Amino acid sequence: MSNEINDYNERETVISFKNVTKEYKLYKNDKARFKGLFNKKVPFKLKKAVNNLSFEVKKGEGLALIGRNGAGKSTILKMVTGVAFPTKGEIFVDGKISALLELSSGFDVESSGIENIYLKCSLLGMTREEIDEVLDDIVEFADIGDYIEQPLRSYSSGMKSRLGFAICVNVKPDILIVDEALSVGDKNFKKKCIKRVRELMADNNVTLLFVTHSLSTALEFCQRGIVLEQGKKLFEGPIQEAIEFYDARE
Amino acid sequence: MSTIRQIINEHRTFGKQIFMLAKSDLIKTYRGAALGWAWAIVKPAMTLFVFWFGFTVGLRGGQPIAGYPYFLWQLAGFLPWFYMRSLIPGGAGCIRKYKHLVTKMKFPVSVIPTFVNISELMVHLVLLAITVALFLIFGHTPDKYYLQLPLYMLMMFVSFTAWALFAGMLSCISADFQNLIKSMSTAIFWMSGIIYDVNNIQNVYIRTILKFNPVTVIATGYRKVFIYKEWFFEDKVEMLCYGISLLATLILAIWAYKRLRKEIPDVL
Repeated sequence: MSNEINDYNERETVISFKNVTKEYKLYKNDKARFKGLFNKKVPFKLKKAVNNLSFEVKKGEGLALIGRNGAGKSTILKMVTGVAFPTKGEIFVDGKISALLELSSGFDVESSGIENIYLKCSLLGMTREEIDEVLDDIVEFADIGDYIEQPLRSYSSGMKSRLGFAICVNVKPDILIVDEALSVGDKNFKKKCIKRVRELMADNNVTLLFVTHSLSTALEFCQRGIVLEQGKKLFEGPIQEAIEFYDARE
Repeated sequence: MSTIRQIINEHRTFGKQIFMLAKSDLIKTYRGAALGWAWAIVKPAMTLFVFWFGFTVGLRGGQPIAGYPYFLWQLAGFLPWFYMRSLIPGGAGCIRKYKHLVTKMKFPVSVIPTFVNISELMVHLVLLAITVALFLIFGHTPDKYYLQLPLYMLMMFVSFTAWALFAGMLSCISADFQNLIKSMSTAIFWMSGIIYDVNNIQNVYIRTILKFNPVTVIATGYRKVFIYKEWFFEDKVEMLCYGISLLATLILAIWAYKRLRKEIPDVL
């Protein structure tokens, strides 16, 4: 047992939050926000979405963020991906992130599926050759047939999500961020997704950050869980205990 | 200072993607319409025709200028205006238009104005080629003054990229600001010496003030190339005014980026 703990501590840290606080400035309306640019006296309310949060994630680990709506889960994910910035505190992230946040967004609806694959992958920092390499995998995984050549506006929402998921899991990420995304598509596709995420975690040493309401899925992938409420960490520990803690509070 | 370094770094690491995004912006603008690319030419042609009709047929003005038919004089000044017309409101809306890049992924926001400008510059190059061809048809072959074209193009590009960064960031915070810019487009057109020569204005103060407007300087610059056959350094006051207004735009752009970069993902 002590060996295991030692092993764990020696593993590389890929995500670390140190006393991170994120405040949103709430103005009465847009006009007040605009005035606030030039005049510091314009009144606003501060809403703390994340309150003095610290945690670490080691390489290859699966961490679940558990909490009700408004607990700050999405804000945390946004800060990990580098979309949003903390008001206070330090964030350290090491590795290529592939985020499955709102799968169907970020696409260009006028372009075809193939063009969107190139667009999205190169925005993730991949070169053309690297994309060519994974293109077939993505197309095969998405499994949307001839639609891959059609503009995205003709896709159903399920097809868009499938393409989005296919890209995210096939670009060889170091850190995979999953936000309710596994609930897309039909049963078969869901199974395929779960299988793929498990493969990624098994051989590539991929780190997983998982946000969900579905506690059973969290149990499958994650070893640890953090329970959040109103931006504060209430509990951090093994996933089983985290789920019990969360259930007890409900 | 650190903001300048940040902007430069963001451009350096995203070099390749900038051109790809410019291309996809261009395709997005024109695809889907039945005439597609033709719109890039039809719209400016329509504008030119309307003004030519209004001034030559309607107002019975439109006398030849400096030995060139009025139509060619008009064309030389409108050529850069088509670029600027698109980017005055387009610059203010560019970051909102690409808000999925800001709110859904880690993305260097300062390159959005750059690729939007590059995309418009491509259209400009096509129109420029047509303009040169039209001058040729009328018997005016390119001469040494055409060598100034890259300079004026660069001036236009830099000015409007800085403008798009400033106005684009501010528009994210306030939709009112964006609407204000949209409604100012027509005013800028009539007050910028695109359909008249600023140097003909009698009042010296108004004349000088107008030269602080980059739209005026650039439109006049294109006319110097095609019509007046003057060098850019002949009017030193004009260049100085342009330099000052460019510096002001750059400072505003950097201020806006520094002040708002961390705020806009929360607001959009």
